[in-house]
Amino acid sequence: MAKKNIRFYFSLWTVKIMRLSMKALGKNAAHLPGKFAIKLCPNFIELMDKPKHTIGVTGTNGKTTVSNLLVDMLEACGHKTTNNRLGSNMREGVASALIANSTITGKSKNDWAVLEIDERSSMHIYPYLKPEYVICTNLFRDSILRNGSPEYIQKIVSDNMQKETKLILNADDLISGSVAPENPRIYYSIRRLPSDTEKCENIVNDCQICPKCATKLEYEYVRYHQIGKAHCPKCGFSSPKPDYDAEVNFDKNTMVIYEKNAKEEYELLNNSIFNIYNQLTITALLREVGISADKIRESLKKISLPDYRYTKFRVGNIDVVDMMAKEHNPIACSVVFDYVSKEPGRKEVLFLLDDETPKESMCWIYDCDYEKLNSDLIKHIIIPGSRSLDQKMRLLMAGVPEEKIIIDMQDMEAPDYLEFENTDTIFVLHQHWKPEVDKRVVAKIKDLLNKHFGEEA
Amino acid sequence: MENEKIIIEELFPEIANLYGDTGNVRYLKKCLPDAEFVEDYLNEEPSFVSKKPSLIYMGPMSEHAQELVIDRLKPYKERLEELINDGVVFLLTGNAAEVFYKEIENEDGSKIPCLNIFDFVAKRKMFNRYNRHVMGDMDGITIVGYKNQFTHSYGDNSKGYFFKVERGDGLCPGNEFEGVRKNNFFGTYLLGPILIQNPYFTEYVLKLMGVKEPTLAFKDTIIAAYDRRLKEYKEFDFPII
Repeated sequence: MAKKNIRFYFSLWTVKIMRLSMKALGKNAAHLPGKFAIKLCPNFIELMDKPKHTIGVTGTNGKTTVSNLLVDMLEACGHKTTNNRLGSNMREGVASALIANSTITGKSKNDWAVLEIDERSSMHIYPYLKPEYVICTNLFRDSILRNGSPEYIQKIVSDNMQKETKLILNADDLISGSVAPENPRIYYSIRRLPSDTEKCENIVNDCQICPKCATKLEYEYVRYHQIGKAHCPKCGFSSPKPDYDAEVNFDKNTMVIYEKNAKEEYELLNNSIFNIYNQLTITALLREVGISADKIRESLKKISLPDYRYTKFRVGNIDVVDMMAKEHNPIACSVVFDYVSKEPGRKEVLFLLDDETPKESMCWIYDCDYEKLNSDLIKHIIIPGSRSLDQKMRLLMAGVPEEKIIIDMQDMEAPDYLEFENTDTIFVLHQHWKPEVDKRVVAKIKDLLNKHFGEEA
Repeated sequence: MENEKIIIEELFPEIANLYGDTGNVRYLKKCLPDAEFVEDYLNEEPSFVSKKPSLIYMGPMSEHAQELVIDRLKPYKERLEELINDGVVFLLTGNAAEVFYKEIENEDGSKIPCLNIFDFVAKRKMFNRYNRHVMGDMDGITIVGYKNQFTHSYGDNSKGYFFKVERGDGLCPGNEFEGVRKNNFFGTYLLGPILIQNPYFTEYVLKLMGVKEPTLAFKDTIIAAYDRRLKEYKEFDFPII
């Protein structure tokens, strides 16, 4: 194991001064200090003292939410936690988080760290960070520009996982569930739900054949995409047995998690399937590190989902739901479309999913289940931006009647096209990289609704 | 041929389906509601062995999937050559065409023998992804599209290419010809729903398949989207990413 040397201390002290200066100037010091530290001392992360318990969180979808919830839960349990929620999920963000929470000699001030880790940064982080636990939420196809096939990402994560790291994995996802097969692991799962189907109803299922023998897998049930329970009729490969097995009760808004020698009930933070998975993931991790179910229940009351991903308010008799739908990520968008389609009532949908600089292909929209939006209860789909013709074409392919599709306006003009009469819910589906546009559009919708109903919110 | 049933055969849709490419066949279904659509799965005998299709389509896949596909198609190499020589339309997008090349070379120098129908070698660099918007001309039709690949292919395609590149690279950096063409075989690194992005090319393909008066589904929208994209490709200097 490498030892701290003069180069390390020089880097640490330099970036600590840099960090203090940036903070004094009111700048976010969550990336640059780490970047410079690594530049000055390439094995900086390796040489830094790590908190006693270091947890990495990776996966295609849900890693930011899981990381943030986990930090909130640990802090609610009384553990100050080093984290990179304000910085990047690459090595620069990880290094910055360690710097921000270290003493002048590089010792960690906290006993806990939760660090979100980009899958593609695995090789730059895991060998040096050597986390005690890594959560891998799931592995799906993602942005063509940044990722590639899930198989490619699975190999990157597996090849760089350190043998001492214990994995917390989703038994319902055969792709992420097969990461680093030699590592110790804990699985969680959600038992069959009423909405599960016999066959995949999504366009994309990236696990149709057995990874061992290439025989077509048989699914006992499919939740969405490759999420479900499957086995190979030829070689016996199958979904792993879960250590934390959740039974969801939507009527009671709870889930019961069956563990080795216990059965614990928890209130749900949110009833969307991806947020139930997020909550189950953090619960499995917290139980694994020895936090009691009572403490978890108590802490759950003190936290909530990050506002930026899901907010809901009501003006008059109309609900406005503002949801993040990660464009270029067909699975994340499909799950959001599915949620929108399953919510009751008559709906207006406004897309803020367009990309102003078309550096990336629009191919992802043909992997995404726009068919979910072909519903009698969806009255209009309003699409501003330069990609709106592509979006319209995709919606027509999905069977959405042309008269429901309204396109080609500026973002801030889009709310003017919403119809409030006979509407129960307005869904604003926004991309993750333009939060300021989303805020302005939602604020305008609120103003228009206030005027419509003649009252202040 | 216009009286014959149009048959569209999709090879290995369970694995050769990355990057929205299944949109191509879904669009053909909208254009040809009366056509027969066949899906060949990995562990079944492909339909083309006993029945001549109008079009064979295969989309991009993972590197491991390429090896499975090569293995499954090897017994039918002669039949595939016969169909190519007979003028059956083939459309292979992304890395699917590499299956028909001589070999794929890994970074460590190891080689994966392919069907060897075309004399090209694909070279993989798994940490050197190539992303690029590409535009070019095919018989007066402007083709636009997007590439995302870990490989480039090498060999002389100057006598048989899909389109002449006006923006971006062809088969490999510096090559001005994109893809491979022989008779009605089109192999291209362009990926995604290229038939939706290129409606005039789609009309051309439909005619090659024997459709006398092709009708594009959602014609007004698809043409308007193409016109807008063409303008972007001409005006915006897309960087190599």
